[in-house]
Amino acid sequence: MRRAGWNVVGVILFAVMVFPVFWMISTAFKPDDQINSENPTWISGSPTLHHFGDAIHTPFFWNDVKNSLIVVTITVAIAMVLAFVAAVALAKYRFTGRKAFIVLMIGIQMLPGAGLIIPLFVALSRVHQVDKLSGLIITYLTFALPFSVWTLRGFILGIPRDLEEAAMVDGSTRLGAFVRILLPLVAPGLVATSIFAFITSWNEYIFARILLSDQSKQTLTLWLSFFLGTSRHTDWGALMAGSTLTAIPVVIFFLLVQRRIAFGLTAGAVRG
Amino acid sequence: MRSRLFAVAVAALALGAVAATAAASGQRHQANKLTVWLQVDAQSGWPDVVAAASKEFEADHPGANVDVQYQNWGDHLQKFDATLAGGNTPDVIEMGNTEMTKYMAAGAFADLTSFRSSFANSRSWLKGLAASGRYGGKVYGVPYYAGSRVVTYRTDLFKKARINRLPRSVAQFTADARTLARANRATKGFSPVYTAGTDWYFAMSFVYDYGGTIARTRGGKWTGTLNSKQSLAGLTAFKRFFLAASRASKTSDENHPAPYDVYSQGGAGAIIGPAWFSCCVGNKYKADTAQFVMPSHVTGKSMPGFLGGSDLAVPVTASSKSLAADWIKDFTSTAAERSLQAKGNIPNATNLLGSSVNERAAVRSWFVPTAKHWVDVENSNVLRTMLAQILTGKASVRKAATSASRTITSVLNGS
Amino acid sequence: MAIAAGAVPRRRRRLTWRRALRGSVPYWLILPVAAALAAILGYPIYSLFRLSLQHYTLFELIRHEGQWVGLHNFGSVLHDAVFWHTVARTVVFTIANVGMTMVLGTLVALLLVRVSAWARILVTAGLVLVWAMPQVVAVQVWYWMTNYQNGVVNYVLTELRLGDFFHHDWYATTFSQLGLVTALIVWGALPFVAITVYAALSQVPAELVEAAEIDGARPSRVFRDITVPILRPVLLILTSLSILWDFGVFTQPYLLIGQAHIHPGNYLMGVYLFEEGYLHSDYGRGAAISLLMLLMVAAMSVVYVRRMVKIGDVE
Repeated sequence: MRRAGWNVVGVILFAVMVFPVFWMISTAFKPDDQINSENPTWISGSPTLHHFGDAIHTPFFWNDVKNSLIVVTITVAIAMVLAFVAAVALAKYRFTGRKAFIVLMIGIQMLPGAGLIIPLFVALSRVHQVDKLSGLIITYLTFALPFSVWTLRGFILGIPRDLEEAAMVDGSTRLGAFVRILLPLVAPGLVATSIFAFITSWNEYIFARILLSDQSKQTLTLWLSFFLGTSRHTDWGALMAGSTLTAIPVVIFFLLVQRRIAFGLTAGAVRG
Repeated sequence: MRSRLFAVAVAALALGAVAATAAASGQRHQANKLTVWLQVDAQSGWPDVVAAASKEFEADHPGANVDVQYQNWGDHLQKFDATLAGGNTPDVIEMGNTEMTKYMAAGAFADLTSFRSSFANSRSWLKGLAASGRYGGKVYGVPYYAGSRVVTYRTDLFKKARINRLPRSVAQFTADARTLARANRATKGFSPVYTAGTDWYFAMSFVYDYGGTIARTRGGKWTGTLNSKQSLAGLTAFKRFFLAASRASKTSDENHPAPYDVYSQGGAGAIIGPAWFSCCVGNKYKADTAQFVMPSHVTGKSMPGFLGGSDLAVPVTASSKSLAADWIKDFTSTAAERSLQAKGNIPNATNLLGSSVNERAAVRSWFVPTAKHWVDVENSNVLRTMLAQILTGKASVRKAATSASRTITSVLNGS
Repeated sequence: MAIAAGAVPRRRRRLTWRRALRGSVPYWLILPVAAALAAILGYPIYSLFRLSLQHYTLFELIRHEGQWVGLHNFGSVLHDAVFWHTVARTVVFTIANVGMTMVLGTLVALLLVRVSAWARILVTAGLVLVWAMPQVVAVQVWYWMTNYQNGVVNYVLTELRLGDFFHHDWYATTFSQLGLVTALIVWGALPFVAITVYAALSQVPAELVEAAEIDGARPSRVFRDITVPILRPVLLILTSLSILWDFGVFTQPYLLIGQAHIHPGNYLMGVYLFEEGYLHSDYGRGAAISLLMLLMVAAMSVVYVRRMVKIGDVE
């Protein structure tokens, strides 16, 4: 099929996939009586910004934005560095316990999260990490690390041998060569993994809920949940506006890193 | 090999760290800080009442500091369980009245019997609410506020259909519903009285109206009684009313969709639910909205309504029981309860009751069996499944009720 | 490297030291991850095993002490008919979800390779927007789209004259409920698979592909001989992860079907664990179910995991 044909398929795919997101954003601009109308209002004829205003003016909104950004960026940064280094070890070295460690990385992920909530709370409570952002970062790291190690190892293993060997330079340590050569080649994998770690931590709810109490320490997902928490009338407009706002940093993060997933970036590497 | 020794050393260090911290004591409560957990309903509905109570408390206890943290109904119990296991429990916690029994039976709360006389109007606490805070003869929960169920209706539609008197019996209401249906034939899917199929709070009102019950206890053993003669009569009456009056889904619950959303779109002549529904009927019909008490099958009487509400309890791990009780005293004072009443809630004592529709509906009320496993019956949707079967015709009233009763008996008597 | 003639023993020791140091490099590399995981998860995992052997309900939780009951929790769960029905239902559900996610995700990745740059940015931005939606909000929007009273889906289907879907109840039967949950999960999982496979595809050297095509190889041959070997580790990873995520999924079924509609007839394992273990506050039972789930997921993904471990060995 010609490129134009594929482009059409792409646009249709975009429209279908994004419809629920469109519905969320469109609802954020609808006045209350159009939100639950019998006949759906696709795009409001009289859009309003007051839901966004309601959302932003709830107490602690900016505080929660700051907390979420701190927790997530630190988690992703630490996870990527530690996981990359561990993944290199698991992919490129032979040592006793290697296989066990690899299986441990996927094994930990097989544990249902629900079972760990209370024991984790008890463990963190004993080291006074409850109701602290550092405690939340530690918790998120324990979920992000096994996944990142597991996935990055796969990306490293997928790099064609000759690319690596062609770029090896004499005299440097094995580890230094690995890092210098593998890093750019694994960049797309790092990007995909970091986006995953970012989004999972950004939207994580239950552990943040259980671990954090002080209103000034909460994250954006907790802030969102309060729109749904009452037994009474839910402010759908404000909830959708709030959700739209919480999606923005993720999109920004993605736009910043997406250029590294470039097709054919290995073009120059094999020659010479 | 050195590498292997190294790996073992790492593991030992890690385990040692965990063991050492395990020996450390848990967090100690600060002597002058009081942590209170209230639901977000208070945050959005009556934050001034909360602030006033805290101010009074801090004035009485100089140096003390009240930290109110707002919780969601959906996961506040999960969070409470985690703190019971690991520390950091609040000093005062708001509990739904149906949530109390399980926690009282497990010994989660401090005994407040000795403080009872210090709480305002405790001699005339609403019977239903007070019962939810009592276990084994002791007081563990202080009634906070209640809410009943009423009929919210479109005065303009009633007038247009020439219904000039509010119905005083179920039979009359059913006839009015049929009149409304005829008058609003043009509106597709119109419900004269919109009520969800599995709204068991409403359906069980019929059961209690006919003298039936959900379950009965004798000598510590529970028996499900939905298949008693009276209960069956009530369920049959409910089925008759629903089929005549409501076009809601027979399998959906009362939150999906919210009845007031259907009402605000003009899809209902009346809705059944808590009195605060009037907040959300939409601008179009706000001026044409009023409420009345659901009538009984007996002319002139009101149908018993489910009395929802909250209690305030003090976890047994609170550092100072008397400080916590003092805050509760300030928060449930007569002045505070009057403020709550002004915002549309039912106050916690009969001597404070006014004559709003909400409060009149609370005169005849029913409550769920006070069994420690009742929440398990609710969570496993036994009643909802039964109602869906009855309304869709998948099972006869007798068969569905008998099967539900059997399940209720086994769950309530579980260990 | 020049070595002094009389210093043979010292040289051997120096080489041994260097070799040991080099040999310890991988341990240093995995140390941070190992230490972090051991420190945080050590106690919780130990606690999970211990709880599974105890009678531990809310009563015991408050007193911080359980009663040892040996394998009673496991016995009780394994004798529960609901458990086995739920396992069977969840296995079928997992196969359907993983299959659709992997196939559709890979197709989308292949599409991304073939479109123009502007379309690629459009589609990936769309995928990331979907990915970024908080789960609770996504479920709510899906509910709005499919609800009985005024769902868009009913409206569109009726307008397109595909039948009268006015007030059609998509939540009336278990099959319909789980079908909706499947659609929601596949929709939400697609972005991660598509973007990750696309990232892996970008590691395929363009020259190899061009050279093969110049030699006359057909696209399917190119895909099989050049692309798939490079993609294989990533596909194995994604499949193994999808299996364990979809098997234990909780949020989507619980929220979309709705707490009020959940009953043993439509339980999935994640929901079963939550209801039987945690809603009933039977933590010992919950721990036993968690460990049984771990065993089952391990059994379902052992093939993929083993292959992932082997791939490294060939080097």
